[in-house]
Amino acid sequence: MLASLTHPRLWLALALLAAGIGLSVVAWNGPDGAMLVPRVVLAIWCAMALSLVIVEALRRAPPLKPSLSPLPLLMGAVLVAAVTVDTLGFLLPALVLVALTLWLFRVRRPLPLLVGTVLIGGGLWFLFHHVLLIRLPAMMNSGVI
Amino acid sequence: MDVILAAAGDAFTWQALLAIVIGTWAGIVIGGLPGLGSVVGLTIFLPFTFGLDVITSMALLIGVYCGSVYGGSITAILINTPGTPQSAATTFDGYPMTQQGRVDEALGWATFASFFGGVLSCVLLIFCAPQLAKFAVNFGSIEVFALVCLAMLCIVGISRGSLLKGLLCGMMGFFFSMVGSDPITGADRFTFGTQALSSGLDLIPVVVGAFALSEIFVRFSARDEEATVIPEARLRFPPLGEIGRRLIELMRGSFIGSFVGALPGTGAAAAAFISYATAQKLSPRRAQLGKGEPDGIIASESSNNAVTGSAFIPTLALGIPGDVVTAMMMGAMVIHGITPGVRLMADQAQTVYALFVVLIIVNVVMLILSKPSIGLFRYLFKLPLGFVMAGIVMFSFIGAASVRGNPLDLVVAALTGILAYALRRGGYPLAPLVIGMVLGPALESSLRRGLLISRGDFLSFFTHSGIATTLFVLIGLFLVWTLWSSFMQWRAKLARRRQTSTRVIE
Amino acid sequence: MKSLRCSLAALTLAGATHSALAADTLDIVVPFAAGGATDIVARSFEPVFSQHMGVTSVVRNVASASATVGTAEVAGSEGNPNIIEYAPAGSLSIQPSLKELSYGPDSFTYICRTVSNPMFLMVSKSSDIESFQQLVEQSQEYPFLYGSSGPGTLPHLAMAALVVNSDLKAEHVPYSGSGPAMNALAGNEIQIMADTETILENYDLRPLAVFAEQRVKGYENVPAIDELGLPALDFAVWQGVVAPKGISEERAAQYADACKATVESERFRTFAEKAKAGIAYLGPNDFEAFVKRRFEANKQVLQDAGLTQ
Repeated sequence: MLASLTHPRLWLALALLAAGIGLSVVAWNGPDGAMLVPRVVLAIWCAMALSLVIVEALRRAPPLKPSLSPLPLLMGAVLVAAVTVDTLGFLLPALVLVALTLWLFRVRRPLPLLVGTVLIGGGLWFLFHHVLLIRLPAMMNSGVI
Repeated sequence: MDVILAAAGDAFTWQALLAIVIGTWAGIVIGGLPGLGSVVGLTIFLPFTFGLDVITSMALLIGVYCGSVYGGSITAILINTPGTPQSAATTFDGYPMTQQGRVDEALGWATFASFFGGVLSCVLLIFCAPQLAKFAVNFGSIEVFALVCLAMLCIVGISRGSLLKGLLCGMMGFFFSMVGSDPITGADRFTFGTQALSSGLDLIPVVVGAFALSEIFVRFSARDEEATVIPEARLRFPPLGEIGRRLIELMRGSFIGSFVGALPGTGAAAAAFISYATAQKLSPRRAQLGKGEPDGIIASESSNNAVTGSAFIPTLALGIPGDVVTAMMMGAMVIHGITPGVRLMADQAQTVYALFVVLIIVNVVMLILSKPSIGLFRYLFKLPLGFVMAGIVMFSFIGAASVRGNPLDLVVAALTGILAYALRRGGYPLAPLVIGMVLGPALESSLRRGLLISRGDFLSFFTHSGIATTLFVLIGLFLVWTLWSSFMQWRAKLARRRQTSTRVIE
Repeated sequence: MKSLRCSLAALTLAGATHSALAADTLDIVVPFAAGGATDIVARSFEPVFSQHMGVTSVVRNVASASATVGTAEVAGSEGNPNIIEYAPAGSLSIQPSLKELSYGPDSFTYICRTVSNPMFLMVSKSSDIESFQQLVEQSQEYPFLYGSSGPGTLPHLAMAALVVNSDLKAEHVPYSGSGPAMNALAGNEIQIMADTETILENYDLRPLAVFAEQRVKGYENVPAIDELGLPALDFAVWQGVVAPKGISEERAAQYADACKATVESERFRTFAEKAKAGIAYLGPNDFEAFVKRRFEANKQVLQDAGLTQ
């Protein structure tokens, strides 16, 4: 019982419950007409999340072995790249992200890493931005990069 | 008859045929790449159509459209990442089959079901367009509400593992669709004062995050294990006997797709989910669904490709575009001086017949091109895992950034990816999230509009029309059936347990 | 953000290209998805326009329901000479009064108005209503329902203004575009719709009145609203070109000349005729005054109809 209290599944259910409650507060403070359906949906959300919290707390799940994985680094990189595209343009964050992804997925010899980054990051960007004219966020006013 | 011959002559010019081949092939590849869907594909090709004549440009666009709807299934089956939202339901059975080493069979069924659905809906379009359009007009807001309610119930069937988790994910998806302007009053909801959120969350970035990015995270945490090796993509068409045995499934999926496609404002993703839910109730092999049963692939792929043909029904019969894609086609027609509308069939018969011929050729070409296209994906996925994953990241980013040019969409994709990874790790099914997001807007706006029309009287929904009453009765039967079958399962389980316990005592 | 972008550009290229200089590529923002009614006109406008400007231009679709995201992007690109917007009426003259937005009618350099189509009040041809008078009479017993392509769109505003200013009893049901609304009209879910000539002709509807100051060519037997004993109501679906504030005067003049030449060009005229887009050119000053006038008028309608907080 105690072991299950620290289990990440319980934390996930709790986080979802907290999010549901927070959003419900917003929904109940909003206008009646527009918030009619959101209130119903969020009520079901909260009910489900609450039941899940109880189920997960009662369940005896085997404790997870703590492991050191660079996964949060990859997730963080994806998120940071997504946020910075608006200010830095598409190309720079994309190149960094592609290089990091290749590195983390064990492409570490310099030549494949470099060629991969340039072709996948730069090449696809060039193809869409300049050849197919599907404009991606640009860093400069003129839209060249 | 002369008109049809002349129309066939228009469609069989070398320009039109070349446009079909290029369009269909590009469509399959674009659809197969996660993140890039039908809309991005058509946006790429729309500028080219300005210089072409009307049939050639229609051929190009229809090719891209049909190709992309089929292409989405390739990655759905190979790497559990639907290339387009329309193929999300294909992952349910497609990926389990891949894991069992039946990838060639799965791709064969997906290809054949796509072809079958596409052709059947063309036939319906040619012979029954006016009748189907007339029937679709009877589907007002209240009837659509009933239909979408019925479709929403497929969340129950799909989240077999844990109903609580499935419903929670469904509500999450539904909630995602409600961010932004309220469709009825226009008031901002859950935007927290930001202008970028007021246009709401788009389906593509959420699907990119929930499937493509989370798949990368999952494969990353298992990158040293054997299981991450992507199997070689091969294609084996199902033998004729097998097709005959599943003909009824193919027909059902195609008819559901054709009908849903004819209703304006629903679309291929919704059709695939509705068809899958129906298969869960009616397929003779329903017990195997979700564990790698070809019927699941058939249900999903035959219906989403059937939408490609029938989406033209409201467009051609009434001038009302069935979805974003047919709206784009109508735009292309306007550029070439053809005004779609109620008199299109009468005024431009030759063009309309040529369009029918083009649709059929596109489906045949799709069948022919499936082999080389899958071959291309085979080479792409043979690259070291790092390159494949970096490519998927890049395509996901391009798709999310370009689908409507809102920089927020990339952040939405990244955050959904992280959330979806946590959910997958916690044993939550992700499909209900997509279902909630696809069906949520239709459910909400049809309910609210229905309330406006009935002046706030919800009870009158049930007696509004024959169609509505029938659908609500079906919903009731579905609920009773589900409750009854789970009760029977529970009793059987109890009996089994009693049996084993008595045996222990003996 | 802007300053960071400029300084970064300056850093990376060390003065090779100054970011405020006009480049040879021009982004034309269309705030709707590709293939929509506005997008089609914009894409036909673009080639002639860029030829006159001597640049390569790219149509960029920044799609959002009320077109505000794309418009806000252009308004936020202050001083950028390489971006313009092909703007619809709603995002310039309605949305700023409905929502808190980062822009208002003062946030742009106005270039030109290109097309404008008056709106008609229309009912289905299968109904027995032949005149506005009949419509008002029949609505007394049981209020009609009117459709629109969404809350806060021009079809909504035109009808709301009509309901406020006449004895017509009707309630609003919004749809997610003209297409679904037409489907509802065909199924008699709604009875009235206000929209342009394109819709009127394509769907075989019956016009009862036109939201303009006088009768419209081609529809001489359709009365204008003020002939019906009502205050004059003027609603039209128009489009125009706007650029961000802070661009140089010579750049603005260059845009204006190119726009005028485009609208007068044979190619654009042929297209407009096919697509039933009524060419209605207004120069920079007239256009600015026009938008501001429409903005105030729409704001008044929204207030009268109780649509603003």
